Amino acid sequence: MADGWLYDGQSALRHAAQVEPGADGGLRVTWEFGELTVPRSQLVHIDSRPDAEIYGHAELSGWRLGLPRPVPGDLAGLLPTSARYGGWVDRLGLGKTVAIGVAVSAVVIFGIIQIPEVAAPYVPLSWERKMGDAMMAQLGERSCRTPAGEAALKRLATSLSPDAAGIDIEVLDIPVVNAAALPGGRIVIFRELLKDAKSPDEVAGVLAHEIAHVRERHVTESLIREFGLSVIGGNAGATVTGVMSAGFTRGAEREADGEAARMLDHANISPAATAGFFKRLAEQEKRFGRVAEGLSYVSTHPLSGERQAMFESRAQKGRTYRPALTPGEWQALVGICNSRAKRLEQERGSADD
Amino acid sequence: MNDMRGTGVTGAAPSAFEFTGTWREFLPIAATNLLLTLVTLGFYRFWAKARERRYLWSRTRFIDDHLEWTGSGKEMFIGFILAFLILGTLGLLVFGLFILLSNIGLGWVAVLLALGAYPVSFYVVGLARFRALRYRLSRTLWHGIRGGSEDQGFRYALTSAWMTLVGAMAFFLLPWSMITLWNERWNAMSFGPHRFSAYGAAGPLLVRLLLSIGLGIGLIIVLALLAVALPFDDLFSRTDPGRDGVTGVVLLLLLPLVLLIIFAVIPIFYYAAFVREGINKLFLGDVDFGFSARTYHWLRLYAGDVLLVVGTLGLGIAFLGYRHWSFFVRHLEAYGEVDLDTLLQSETRAPRQGEGLLDALDIGAL
Repeated sequence: MADGWLYDGQSALRHAAQVEPGADGGLRVTWEFGELTVPRSQLVHIDSRPDAEIYGHAELSGWRLGLPRPVPGDLAGLLPTSARYGGWVDRLGLGKTVAIGVAVSAVVIFGIIQIPEVAAPYVPLSWERKMGDAMMAQLGERSCRTPAGEAALKRLATSLSPDAAGIDIEVLDIPVVNAAALPGGRIVIFRELLKDAKSPDEVAGVLAHEIAHVRERHVTESLIREFGLSVIGGNAGATVTGVMSAGFTRGAEREADGEAARMLDHANISPAATAGFFKRLAEQEKRFGRVAEGLSYVSTHPLSGERQAMFESRAQKGRTYRPALTPGEWQALVGICNSRAKRLEQERGSADD
Repeated sequence: MNDMRGTGVTGAAPSAFEFTGTWREFLPIAATNLLLTLVTLGFYRFWAKARERRYLWSRTRFIDDHLEWTGSGKEMFIGFILAFLILGTLGLLVFGLFILLSNIGLGWVAVLLALGAYPVSFYVVGLARFRALRYRLSRTLWHGIRGGSEDQGFRYALTSAWMTLVGAMAFFLLPWSMITLWNERWNAMSFGPHRFSAYGAAGPLLVRLLLSIGLGIGLIIVLALLAVALPFDDLFSRTDPGRDGVTGVVLLLLLPLVLLIIFAVIPIFYYAAFVREGINKLFLGDVDFGFSARTYHWLRLYAGDVLLVVGTLGLGIAFLGYRHWSFFVRHLEAYGEVDLDTLLQSETRAPRQGEGLLDALDIGAL
């Protein structure tokens, strides 16, 4: 038997209560207004305070029984023990939960790494096309078209990869040194990249890299991955997400570089020019830092110095390579945006009149 | 044990509130919470929060007995999932509509849609704040009695949407917007049968805001004068013209300090006054609340936070909740009398889920 206190959950009054073993293994609580035998199954441990143990009633909200510590031996056996970490952790034990947690997390993270690569080929191209079309709708008015330029671009692409005929490649009048693969098997090359390039061989290297992205469906992979990572919630999740997706991007870039080098080799185009392109980029990185404007190629791709070395190592001494395009074709390609610029100027001129 | 029937209990000096927890007692909770949260990729955080609050509440004494947190991790998890689904669907819908509209040449409608998303997000944030407060009161037990609110918070969220907009557009209306929302939120809450009443005033806060802004501008002017008016070679040594650049270096070193003052100290200077005004003018039945933390105390709290987290390489994050709660309770005061006879159980409907909306939006409550 013990003296405790009781809140009945109806008012804030604190009642002195006597607690003793009751019928059927329950707890008999007696206070000035009545008595109640609480079955063992209804009694819940609420809290261990330095001076007291607090119990509640599963069906009477606010009903609280306080017993000063130490609780007498004849009652101790009748009282439930406390929940510590939350139901399922208590049932398993902390050690086991942590072990299972680590294992499941490992599987989940492995899944996030692997699933996009496995699943990407099964995503219908038509879905992706729609997304790519939506993106192009915003950019389409900036696309540069001349019959000669387009023909040169098409020949360059098909010489690198016979299946490139199905890829929609466009040059956009945007002053940025970059190229990108979009969802739905589309490639866009930005104007400044063509202007910045010293030879068609350099453009061939960059184009081969983007074709590899399209072939390997890297864009689809990264879309799935971003979605998968976004499911891991919270602040900690965001950090992990950022680091992991950056890591995968680099991995995909390396894969695309390797494939680009093989395509160049197959088409008998020298990879040395592509190495030269990255050398210039590396120098610019040194001079302006990685945040420099207009050098966006840098931020989405691996370090240029490293890539320069890779392409350099693929160049075979003594082998005679062929130029990627004839001088005439090259001129047509570099100038593909000129007519658009002229047209815009004329429109502006006529608007002024 | 004492039977307090018919008598009131009085909040006596030094404070009716006392925090009786110790960091040693909390350490095992913090450590296991952190561990379980990490190995579950963050999913345990709802249960971790419930455990943390159960401890903090149980070590918070008000007059003659401790508080109790009755919320569970499960209900907070369900609340989060629900909010995540609702917000996610809404977000996807708006995004899809935006793409669709700009594709069919209705770009200006799309822009309007994007602009319209701002007040809507203010509405959702207001709703989240209101519901989090209601949830917390409904899960706080003292003498077996809980709090709550009859109100669902939809009207409050509407007020919150336009007032936040107004406060953001005209800075001198910010104190009015903030304190009015505080009052409105608390006036809708109750504990047991009693309604809270809050009537914080905007006037003193506006004075504090203008003072804060003046202080910031004054600081910039002083720094600019220092940079311009003092000839560089004069400040340190007239005789050694070779040390011309020293003043420049000193000014450059002062810059981070000035930025810290402008972006951390001055906002806290205003915020400390806001919290004091809000809590000092808050009543419940015959109890008058008060809050004693001044700018200096807040600065010490945040500086301690930074040192703790940096010093433990981030692990100290598990202790921030403890620090902030104990800070809050140590500075919280209450005067007046609680009549236990009339403090009956709350008849408000207790919400079934936790503060999911707030969690999904990742914002703090206070």
